[in-house]
Amino acid sequence: MSYLIDEGKNASHLLMGNEAIVRGALEAGINVAAGYPGTPSSEIIECFSQVAKERNLYVEWSTNEKVAVEVAAAASFAGLRSLCVMKQNGVNVASDFLLHLASSGTRGGMILVTCDDPGALSSVNEGESRLFAQLLEIPLLEPGDFQEAKDIIPWAFDLSEKIRNIVMVRSVTRLSHASGNVHFGPLPTRVAKAEFRNSGPLLDPETGPMIAMIVGAPEAQHGPQQEKMKRAAEIFETCPFNTYTGPATPELLIITSSACSLYSQEAVSILGLGERVGILKLATTWPLPQRLLKKHLAATPKILFVEEVAPTLEDHVKVVAAESGAEIGVKTFFGKKSGHLPSLGELNPDLVLMALSRIFAVPYEGAPADFSAAVKALAARYAPPRGMTFCPGCPHRASYWSINNALKLDGRGGFVCGDIGCYVMGTMAAGFNTCKTLHAMGSGSGIASGFGKLKQFGVDQPVLSVCGDSTFFHAAMPALANAIHQRSPFTMLLMDNRGTAMTGFQPHPGSPTNVLGEATPALDMEKICRAMGAKVEVSDPFDLEKTRQKLNHLMEYADGAKVLILRRACALSPERRGKKEYEVTVDESRCRGEDCGCNRICTRIFGCPGLIWDGEKKVSRIDEIICVGCGVCADICPAGAILRKEVA
Amino acid sequence: MSDVKLAKDPYNVIITGVGGQGNVLVARLLGGMLAKKGFLVAIGETFGASQRGGSVMSHLRISRLAVASPQIPRGRADVIVSLEPAEALRVLALYGNPGTMLLTNSHPIYPVGVIKGELVYPPVAEMEAAITQILPTAYFIDATARALALGNSILVNIVMLGALGRLNVVPFNREDFQEAIALRLATGQLAINLKAFDEGYGMV
Amino acid sequence: MKIFGATKLAETVIQTELCSGCGACIDLCPYFRSYRGKTAYLFPCTREEGRCFAYCPKVEVDPDGLSRFLFAKPYDGHPLGNWRSIHVARAGARVKRQPFQSGGTVSALMYFSLRSGCIRGAILTGRKGLLPVPQLVTRPAGVWRHSLSKYTAAPTLAALNRAIAAGHEALGVVATPCQATAIAQMRMNPLQNRSFRDHTALVIGLFCTWALDFRKFEAFLAERVPLKDIVKIDIPPPPASVLEVYLQEEKREFPLDEIRLLVPDTCGYCLDMTSEFADVSVGVLEGHPELNTLIVRTERGEEIVREAQRQEYIILDDMPVENREHLEWAAGNKKQRGLRRCMETGRLNGEAGTACLRLTGEVTDRILKNGRNGKESPCHT
Repeated sequence: MSYLIDEGKNASHLLMGNEAIVRGALEAGINVAAGYPGTPSSEIIECFSQVAKERNLYVEWSTNEKVAVEVAAAASFAGLRSLCVMKQNGVNVASDFLLHLASSGTRGGMILVTCDDPGALSSVNEGESRLFAQLLEIPLLEPGDFQEAKDIIPWAFDLSEKIRNIVMVRSVTRLSHASGNVHFGPLPTRVAKAEFRNSGPLLDPETGPMIAMIVGAPEAQHGPQQEKMKRAAEIFETCPFNTYTGPATPELLIITSSACSLYSQEAVSILGLGERVGILKLATTWPLPQRLLKKHLAATPKILFVEEVAPTLEDHVKVVAAESGAEIGVKTFFGKKSGHLPSLGELNPDLVLMALSRIFAVPYEGAPADFSAAVKALAARYAPPRGMTFCPGCPHRASYWSINNALKLDGRGGFVCGDIGCYVMGTMAAGFNTCKTLHAMGSGSGIASGFGKLKQFGVDQPVLSVCGDSTFFHAAMPALANAIHQRSPFTMLLMDNRGTAMTGFQPHPGSPTNVLGEATPALDMEKICRAMGAKVEVSDPFDLEKTRQKLNHLMEYADGAKVLILRRACALSPERRGKKEYEVTVDESRCRGEDCGCNRICTRIFGCPGLIWDGEKKVSRIDEIICVGCGVCADICPAGAILRKEVA
Repeated sequence: MSDVKLAKDPYNVIITGVGGQGNVLVARLLGGMLAKKGFLVAIGETFGASQRGGSVMSHLRISRLAVASPQIPRGRADVIVSLEPAEALRVLALYGNPGTMLLTNSHPIYPVGVIKGELVYPPVAEMEAAITQILPTAYFIDATARALALGNSILVNIVMLGALGRLNVVPFNREDFQEAIALRLATGQLAINLKAFDEGYGMV
Repeated sequence: MKIFGATKLAETVIQTELCSGCGACIDLCPYFRSYRGKTAYLFPCTREEGRCFAYCPKVEVDPDGLSRFLFAKPYDGHPLGNWRSIHVARAGARVKRQPFQSGGTVSALMYFSLRSGCIRGAILTGRKGLLPVPQLVTRPAGVWRHSLSKYTAAPTLAALNRAIAAGHEALGVVATPCQATAIAQMRMNPLQNRSFRDHTALVIGLFCTWALDFRKFEAFLAERVPLKDIVKIDIPPPPASVLEVYLQEEKREFPLDEIRLLVPDTCGYCLDMTSEFADVSVGVLEGHPELNTLIVRTERGEEIVREAQRQEYIILDDMPVENREHLEWAAGNKKQRGLRRCMETGRLNGEAGTACLRLTGEVTDRILKNGRNGKESPCHT
């Protein structure tokens, strides 16, 4: 039994922020959870799935984030408590539906959990989702630590049901992927009974149809929606998760939220400023509790905003200060706008320490400067930087090898439009710098479809796109449909590595099992593409020459949109992990090394971590610990020096 | 609650290594053992790039007083446990101070730049000599060799955890480990992990 | 001559479309590969000196050095290069009538050389569809499958490199002028490899005014005839001025003026019509589509030709003076056009690693004086 459903009295566990959110939802009696994988949010749906049977939940990995919100909304419409979860980029995808949902309102409590990634530690951008709360006109909550990550969820469900609208809860990497002690509350025993009531009058929140339609009559729905926000603001004035620590009239007030509140506490404590600095930690960051803010603003002359990433609190609090200038007086503000903190990247205790040290003119040094300088000098000498690359045995390295060769042989200046997945490394040396555009999920194929139609303006080189199997269902199918319908002659490389690999092998509509491990119909991408009207070829990316030939052929001859499915499971997938197909060795006598005729193509260009250049002997060799035995490098070697023997 | 005293509060431990070495598991095992003893524990992890050969690092904060931030301020690590020597040095440069205790595996995992021949990874013995010149308490052990001798390089993280147990700076012991690992692994794997722990324990 | 590496070669020859696709740099290493008549540079090689660069007939060619190496004579810019004798030639009685182009001298010489053991393998060019595909032929009868002209650039020397790497020795090659130049450069062992051995035994050079860009030629034909029905392609000597395409049922003709648009830029830089650095050179005899012109250049070439004649594999006649003069006139024109083009684009002498070729002022002047403005002569690969 999972510790997440520990019902022991006074139970306490070390939980990740994401696990705490799950426990909170369980304590709130959640019924339905849906999401699309994305770091740092993916553990939430996985944790729900682990307790789905015991807690009678419906849990799914949805095709994309918009569908996840729609699935969760249906549960809410039927009076159930539901939660949808995604990383910050997912909110962009879901935003169209969210805007309409916020207009129609909800019934059963419904929460949108978004896990932002300040610093883009595992994202292609650090765009934050908080601004959506303002755009969508829905309440936003931000827990400040692990305990709160749990406690705030039942409170958010209650709020959602009070105002009959979706509530957004924002976490960040340093909460979602950090762990701390969490004290458990009781799990409810109520049995969920759902009913979608829809026969009442239009706009009746209890019994009417759930319709977002205010053509020409904004007052019908937009009015009530704004009333809901006023109500939320009122509730926020006394929210137990907005806390203040510090003196009654601090010299400086830190206004902060989320993980930044922990950095602020630590910085104040290290500098011994507890008597001079107060910390107002806000959990309700939209709409802001105006009276609470005014009270704290009035008590201090200076304010420092500590938040990630954009100056959102900073801007909104300044509006409150401006509007109440007569009551609270003129203030001095520090934060991103003043340059005391950066407006990009994630924050940490050191950045807050530096800001406070500057404001209070107190010197601060983490470690003796001479020691740090000495170790940094050693690190520069002895610790070469660690670049990212594809795993040993990764099918993408082989795929990009063939794509590069096909494009270079084709010789017409063709290029690849990249997409989101591990294969973003196609933009880097790891993928031979093959990808020349990279944006959102599915965008590579949409952009490629567009490039394919620029012939009349002189852009007539071959255009390719890459797209993973999960991405295909998520957002690339509309792009492919477009390209087929518009006769855009591009080639989609569908890199089918059997799962949503980058985030940990979550299933997608092409998978034979769902999140609970139950058998489900697996949609056949090959048949889908064919039925859509594309010319389709399938290749094993480990067969370099065949893959290259098929791709060249598609680029050369076939008209319209074409799809080359490159099918090979991820090296870390359950079906391949720990299984060596080949025993690989290097025949040193045949290795040409740096000589004319090779120049170390295996180590210098192919760059699999399992192959190491021995600078002393001037030969390549296999790192037995790293090599996973895919055997592809044997086909790279021009001298036949890399030998592979099938493992019996 | 045990009455073990912490040398400092919060006591700051960093577990570092390269993606795929089992760094996260060590941090969580350790955190779980300490939480069970009644400490307030915060663990901050960076593992987004972990599966792609990147550096990974977990910050472990142990306190009797308050929840600490999941990021240790620069220069304030009390113990650094590293599954890879270059990572040890990298982390020491940012988070170390002259009083930091360093425990590292001496078996290198070459960065892709080194594999490609673009960068040089100097001999670890040279690095060790240079570090011990400026850091009084630094331990280099070949945990990888020991793990391989046990039959699987994946055990390197447990060997290192055993060595940390011997250093007696973080309040946990073999029984705590046994209890913690039993919660996470199938019973069949228990014996080999305990063996790895014991091997590590004997290495410092 | 300064030798550079692959990256420089890619910069000065491949990216500038100066590459003729001869194949000299291919199959020596994994970085260069041929695809549909063009040479591609797949990944950056960082070596500062490479055989690829040293062998390339489009960069840093030193005709004087080649001439001294092959003929022990300086390069003087003569329209036909260095030669020992010039003949009218055709296949002899020992050669059964086969479908070959013109007089069949090339095929007859290769056939003889293989049968007699003068060579133990021949690098010839067959075709797959319209695409020329070079191959190693070791059985004499195999010669006849490769006897027809291709008219498009072929990576013949890739097959030579492959054959040498596979351990074949005493190889004969049928080469275009740029390929013959490359082979001569290979034979000089420019990187001074201690293990180097010359594995060529006979280089038969073809007369060539230009070779077509495969992709453009294929596209041109694809719009006009069913590609799969093409049996043979020919360019008859003047005054016809057409390209003939023989289909299953009919023959189609296309004006050469349309075809010339499919000639790649690189042929405009070429000074060599008669494969001056081959052992022997063969072309169509002006005004006699059933006969060949044969230029014997080297001692080893001469020995084979003499023996082939003695054993009646080929029949030789004296070359009429007016034919030789016309050949010199045509070859001189090409030489002058190519040289002018090189001079206009800064590719004569100039910066190390970017010049097509190096000539003294004296030789340059002689070429410019010899050549006369006029129409090109329709002799082809």
